[in-house]
Amino acid sequence: MKLQMRYADMWGCSKMDVSQYLEIFIDETKEHLQNLNEQLLILEREPDNADTINEIFRAAHSLKGMAGTMGYKRMQRLTHDLENVFSEIRNGKISVQASMVDVLFRGLDALENYLDVITNSGDEGDEDNEDIINDLNAFLGGGQPEAAAGAAPAEAPKKEEENKGEFGSVFKDLKVADFEQHAIEKAKSEGQNIYGIRVVVDENCILKAARAFLVFRALEEIGDVIKSNPEVQDIEDEKFEKDFIVLIITKESVDVVKNAVLSISEIAQAIVEPFNLDLSVEENIEKSDGSNVTGANADSPKSKASTAAATATAPAPAAAAKAKKADEKKPGGKPVVNRSVRVDIEKLDVLMNLVSELIIAKNGLVSLNAGTGHDDGKRSSSFNEQIEYLERVTTNLHESVMKVRMMPIESVVNKFPRMIRDLCKKLDKKMELFMTGEETELDRTVIDEIGDPLMHLLRNSADHGLESNEDRVKAGKPEVGSIFLDAYQDGNNVVIEVRDDGAGIDLERVKKKAIEKGTITEEQAETMTENDLIALLFRPSFSTAEKVTDVSGRGVGLDVVKSKIEGLGGDIECKTVKGEGSTFTIRLPLTLAIITALMVELGDEKYAIPLGSIQTIEDIPCSDIKYVQTREVINLRGNVIPLIRLDSILDVEPRDEKPESLTVVIVAKGEKLAGLVVDNLIGQQEIVIKSIGKYINNNKIISGATILGDGEVALIIDANTLV
Amino acid sequence: MEAKTNEAKTNDLNTAIVLEGKQYIVVKIGTEQYGIDIQYVDNIVRMQSITRVPKAQHYFKGVINLRGEIIPVMSLRLKFGLEQDQFTNSTRIIIIKLEAQATIGIIVDEVKEVVTLNEEEIDKPSYNENDEKASYLFGVGKHGNSLISLLNITGVIVEKEKEKTNM
Repeated sequence: MKLQMRYADMWGCSKMDVSQYLEIFIDETKEHLQNLNEQLLILEREPDNADTINEIFRAAHSLKGMAGTMGYKRMQRLTHDLENVFSEIRNGKISVQASMVDVLFRGLDALENYLDVITNSGDEGDEDNEDIINDLNAFLGGGQPEAAAGAAPAEAPKKEEENKGEFGSVFKDLKVADFEQHAIEKAKSEGQNIYGIRVVVDENCILKAARAFLVFRALEEIGDVIKSNPEVQDIEDEKFEKDFIVLIITKESVDVVKNAVLSISEIAQAIVEPFNLDLSVEENIEKSDGSNVTGANADSPKSKASTAAATATAPAPAAAAKAKKADEKKPGGKPVVNRSVRVDIEKLDVLMNLVSELIIAKNGLVSLNAGTGHDDGKRSSSFNEQIEYLERVTTNLHESVMKVRMMPIESVVNKFPRMIRDLCKKLDKKMELFMTGEETELDRTVIDEIGDPLMHLLRNSADHGLESNEDRVKAGKPEVGSIFLDAYQDGNNVVIEVRDDGAGIDLERVKKKAIEKGTITEEQAETMTENDLIALLFRPSFSTAEKVTDVSGRGVGLDVVKSKIEGLGGDIECKTVKGEGSTFTIRLPLTLAIITALMVELGDEKYAIPLGSIQTIEDIPCSDIKYVQTREVINLRGNVIPLIRLDSILDVEPRDEKPESLTVVIVAKGEKLAGLVVDNLIGQQEIVIKSIGKYINNNKIISGATILGDGEVALIIDANTLV
Repeated sequence: MEAKTNEAKTNDLNTAIVLEGKQYIVVKIGTEQYGIDIQYVDNIVRMQSITRVPKAQHYFKGVINLRGEIIPVMSLRLKFGLEQDQFTNSTRIIIIKLEAQATIGIIVDEVKEVVTLNEEEIDKPSYNENDEKASYLFGVGKHGNSLISLLNITGVIVEKEKEKTNM
């Protein structure tokens, strides 16, 4: 859509620098490719699904248009051949087979490669993907072996023939409303000519709407345009494929009109015929009350399809402008793409409103300050009012800004079904991926980073987690393995779970392997708990796979995943039940910048504990403290929770008084709990997280600092490192 | 083409230095005078309340809030192995900006003046790889009767990285 907005200012502009559209091109191409991937997966399962085929065709068509517009010839050519296959499928000329889907997927991958190269260099590279193109053309039954030679020519003649049949008469689709009929009759009585003109735009024309505009202008110079199909508005929006019909009243002859139209470049054909009202009256006249819709809803099924296709195509070719110029001047050889977030206009509106409110609140304070005459009591109360107002606005502002940064996790996970499909084939295992919570939102920075770790985990599940189909049947499980990807919000965290119903992790084997590798000694192995063993999996270069496969098992898996996730401020846990499967749970902070925290006092110092990790706050009498292995614990409603004396961990000078009871903040990390002993509670507060700089060294207990209302600095305790 | 311009630029720069010398902020720590290359100095602020950061290197006093930015503050005295700072009215924090996003404050007893030193007024110290403290200085400047130890700011600050990994 963006493209469309931008192209509005391109009217009449002949020279176009495509580089400014590169970003949009990349974004939209990604979307289309994703869409194609998804739809193709559906098509594989339901080869007869007409909606899917249409959707695929539209996406492919848009892609081709965009690639052509940007001057990416190779990409355009490949897309074109893909499109040919899709179009044959759509027309029912060939049917979908497994081998075809494979080739189509290969084609999509090749397109993705082009896109990667473009993203990095601004140029499409020089991979021709000849083999894919040949395979694609093979499906077309050799009908168009040389289709590749040029994007358009192969298609054009064929279409041309179709069109002849389709538009036997220029006016077949044209309906004339009452008032138009009157106009026509009136013109006729005045001795003017009425012509119907079918204008066919050149196949290679990129700025179709612009050409159409010129056609209209030329026609208006010699007469009155009374009607067009599609509607003028739709033509301007490029909602037509390559031809449109215009009804014109003019004094000029057929030839003059024809020449006027043909004088505009990139107009391939103009068929001008006198419009014979009498002939068409019967079937073509329509009551004016229905006429508004007609333009778009022409009745022949064929043109309906083409209208639909055109609508879908609209955003893409709008990219338009551009041109063949793009050939000579390909964008320079450096990555030109910035990271951007697509923002819902509504979210921006909310932001805008909040900012206006902020200004109002500020003005309130200013006027309060100016009006000195009032008595003090009244002033301070309205002052408080304004402060409260300001507070409310800033809180909302904060929330909305955060929302702007948020993106649904969908953009990351929607490529996984395709990946699992490929893995099915590669590993020769039947499996299915079930995803939930794709709408869960995460900060953009996190979204960017989370893809790889998730992919790793999924591959792990597919390769190591799930047993082979035979083994599954033997174990009495359903033959097809299941992998689950669930995302949901949990307090201030987003949790993503990757689960499989496979064999689970063989902890004995982990133990043996660890001893073999010298990671642990045998004595250590004896005392290790299950969790300790699982923790081994996250050590660098630790893989239990018996054989290294292409998919995973190179031992560079889980440790990378772990460090990446920790880099994002999250953590990862694994649970496994032998014979039933394993679950990897990733926990990520919802946002990285602003959090709500509990402010506490330790000695004279103030610290912030993120509210997200706090479960409860308890008052524990000193007499309730028990000792387990010389460590202090408390028994809280049946849970044995270790006590952590924050003051000694943080080397705070302890307070002199020895209280009767302790204030304990119970924090949780996953299911593990710990009680942090603090001296005093201050209260809950929204804090802005700031880094304490890279030079200062701390044991990760301090995750950052924040500035309090009085300008003082308080440090933020990362409870996760303590539990 | 570009290389040429660069070359020309450095030449210009060198000439400028030779002609005008470099400016240093002279600070006092204990009885000694130190010079800090003025191009690294972002700001000089008065002593203010410092929030201690637990488990940090001993020479880091903590962090301060400088107009909404959190800035770690180190004590040059502790870094150089001198006795604890005595904060007085003349104690200052010099805010050093080596690169964007890496600001650091250093505490000095007193800020005296800004001097301009020419190349010939600076003596290079003898190089000794094993003496860690030697890397804190890159020369001794002579200004009038007094000697100014010129701080190698990068050495003082960045060399921490090494220590960090050792810790």
